[in-house]
Amino acid sequence: MEFALQQQEIKFDAKPKKFVVWLFVVSSTIMFGGWTSYYIVFSASKGKGHGLVLPDAFIYSTVVLVASSIALYLASRALRNGNKANQQLFLWITLALGLGFGFLQFQAWTSLYQSGAFLINNNAAISLIYIVSGFHLLHIFAGICFILNSLVGSYKNIPTEKAVYRQEITSIFWHFIDILWIYLYVFLLLNS
Amino acid sequence: MSTISLQDTHHHDSHDDHGHHHETFLTKYVFSQDHKMIAKQFLITGIIMAVIAMGLSILFRLQLAWPDKSFPLLETFLGKWAEGGRIKPDFYLALVTIHGTIMVFFVLTAGLSGTFSNLLIPLQLGARDMASPFLNMLSYWFFFSACVIMMGSFFIQTGPASAGWTIYPPLSAVPTAIPGSGMGMTLWLISMVLFVASSLMGGINYVTTVLNMRTKGMDLWKMPLTIWAFFLTAILGILSFPVLVAGVVLLIFDRSFGTSFYLSDIVMGTQVLPNEGGSPILWQHLFWFLGHPEVYIVIMPALGISSEIISVNSRKPIFGYHAMIYSLIGITTLSFIVWGHHMFVTGMNPLLGGVFMITTLIIAVPSAVKTFNYLATLWRGNIRFTPAMLFAIGLVSFFISGGLTGIFLGNAALDINLHDTYFVVAHFHLVMGSAAIFGMLAGVYHWFPKMFGKMMNAKLGYLHFWLTFICAYLVFFPLHFLGLDGVPRRYYAFTEFEFMNKWLTVNVFVTWAAIVAALAQVAFLFNFFYSIFKGKKAPQNPWEANTLEWTTPVEHLHGNWPGEIPTVYRWPYDYSKPGAEHDFIPQTVPFSQTMSSNLPHDFEGNAEAEKVQKDWEAVNKPTQEEAE
Repeated sequence: MEFALQQQEIKFDAKPKKFVVWLFVVSSTIMFGGWTSYYIVFSASKGKGHGLVLPDAFIYSTVVLVASSIALYLASRALRNGNKANQQLFLWITLALGLGFGFLQFQAWTSLYQSGAFLINNNAAISLIYIVSGFHLLHIFAGICFILNSLVGSYKNIPTEKAVYRQEITSIFWHFIDILWIYLYVFLLLNS
Repeated sequence: MSTISLQDTHHHDSHDDHGHHHETFLTKYVFSQDHKMIAKQFLITGIIMAVIAMGLSILFRLQLAWPDKSFPLLETFLGKWAEGGRIKPDFYLALVTIHGTIMVFFVLTAGLSGTFSNLLIPLQLGARDMASPFLNMLSYWFFFSACVIMMGSFFIQTGPASAGWTIYPPLSAVPTAIPGSGMGMTLWLISMVLFVASSLMGGINYVTTVLNMRTKGMDLWKMPLTIWAFFLTAILGILSFPVLVAGVVLLIFDRSFGTSFYLSDIVMGTQVLPNEGGSPILWQHLFWFLGHPEVYIVIMPALGISSEIISVNSRKPIFGYHAMIYSLIGITTLSFIVWGHHMFVTGMNPLLGGVFMITTLIIAVPSAVKTFNYLATLWRGNIRFTPAMLFAIGLVSFFISGGLTGIFLGNAALDINLHDTYFVVAHFHLVMGSAAIFGMLAGVYHWFPKMFGKMMNAKLGYLHFWLTFICAYLVFFPLHFLGLDGVPRRYYAFTEFEFMNKWLTVNVFVTWAAIVAALAQVAFLFNFFYSIFKGKKAPQNPWEANTLEWTTPVEHLHGNWPGEIPTVYRWPYDYSKPGAEHDFIPQTVPFSQTMSSNLPHDFEGNAEAEKVQKDWEAVNKPTQEEAE
């Protein structure tokens, strides 16, 4: 009885906070839903989309982001197995891939810019590419903060439940922005 | 059991330690993380903003009633906004815009949800605090900053935003369009981004707390209707506010960076703007996808509050508890598929208009369910006319009279005539303005003892109620007739148009009623602030209510309950139960202590409990009858 109750106390702490992250994921999804529905209505009424061949950098960045998600999964697994060194290693890899993703997004914008598809554009569909990828990059920045938070916790040897909690919210958020980017990329590919 | 109490005491002790060692003025009253203090912060900020917005409305009512008259006093206070004692047209537009913005967002969203969700969710569910007290504190300070920035726009050269609270482009998207499109609009947008962030942090916290932190025995179907209303309101906010952010971001890019999301074919004077290809209608879609749920964000907490107050003060169980919840869920769901009814005259495909018309009219069903349930709860109740009860009944009245005109406006064909006239103004001021503010005031009168440990003066409350109630009708009812005659809203001077001239006398009448209503609020403000310091000390359960908040001590403590959190055994509406000793049975009383009043359905099919009850009745009931 005592054991069960103590278990409950610990879970009680982390569960609502994890739920907060989930709800943030929901509201963020809806914000991007707002933009993509703007895009749909805009392109339906004008009979045109962005009409571009998306830069290759977007393909590379997508691959890098998916790889980072895999690395983060391995970090979580390492933590579950009690292997802190591996957790830290994979978190560093995730972090590096996240930064790489950011770099590639800048590359993509540069090549968009060089091809004449500017942000300031009389085709709002092209402007919207910058908006959604830009705001997605802001989410990546927030995700990197989560990863750092997890890393700091790991190096400072915080209690296991807290370390697990930090790792879990990092996972929720990072996998979310991974899936979000795939959605946005596929959306932009399909609605050119 | 002993383990539980041990742990709970421990938990509580740590709170106390915290209190004794670290609590300074700053952490207790300013950067407080205690939900009760944050609720008070929201309430008092909300009241201040409401007084300001009411003041603004009196200013533009003066203009509407006496468009050609000079009030030198206005120039003294407003300076160049009222040169020669007459309000300038630009400033008039700013007044209506900021009045609407403050009332809808700052008073009836943050002031209402922020106050009562914060106060009641932990207290009525039996939680020590919110899921994330820190986020909660942040939510208040974002809201506060939003208020300061919005008010700050009165102190800049070009004045506040003037494009109406819906800030339709191009007025809002071209900074040179009107004076209010410049810096004032920028501040409006910054303020609103902060406000949305605050709302989201609040809403996420409320939903998380409701779903994760209920005390033992408090299943969803034992929650008071207030909590159901706050919960669904928070969900609405989480699902709709992000869309406003999406729209506002695009608007900011149009304003500041030259994109063309909402702009096309615009000529300023002799200059053609370079923006091509955007559409202002798209803003309306994004805005009203939030905007319509927003009006339910405003009214649903008020409905929840009045459900609770009407039941307590009728000394009767709420009529149709489940129906009340399902109708709230119905309203929540439907609110996302009706936004098009704000846009019937934008050249919408008539078929689409028909779809939006049908979904809109269906909302009348859950709304009517709620109305009839309120009336059925009052029916043959043992009514106690406390000020809170009067305001709750006032809400029902406004909800009916304002809701009926909603059926007119929801019709796409009728809306062509009525769109953007005073009929719309009358409709929403009754159904969401007056009704929601009455719900909020009802909540203030009812939970004031819980918030401040003092009672408010009932006589001043009655004075406040009757003056406000009568004047609100006197202000808003005549506006229907203006609207039916085709008088458009937001027009500066009725003397400029021949067909509007005849309504000038009505405007004078309405303005006088508004002035009396505004003066009536002095009774409330005095009562509120005087009672905080000098009010009669409140007993623990002044209204003899069943819900958990009245089991906490009058003196506030961080963590709410001194020992264990109470366990909940029954729903919150066991009032005047036949066979019971008192006319109320708090949620914390187990059925084993109320054998004489238990009913078969109380046990929810628990065979063992039913048997115990039957055995008890076999022994006790006949003897009672013999005694008679």
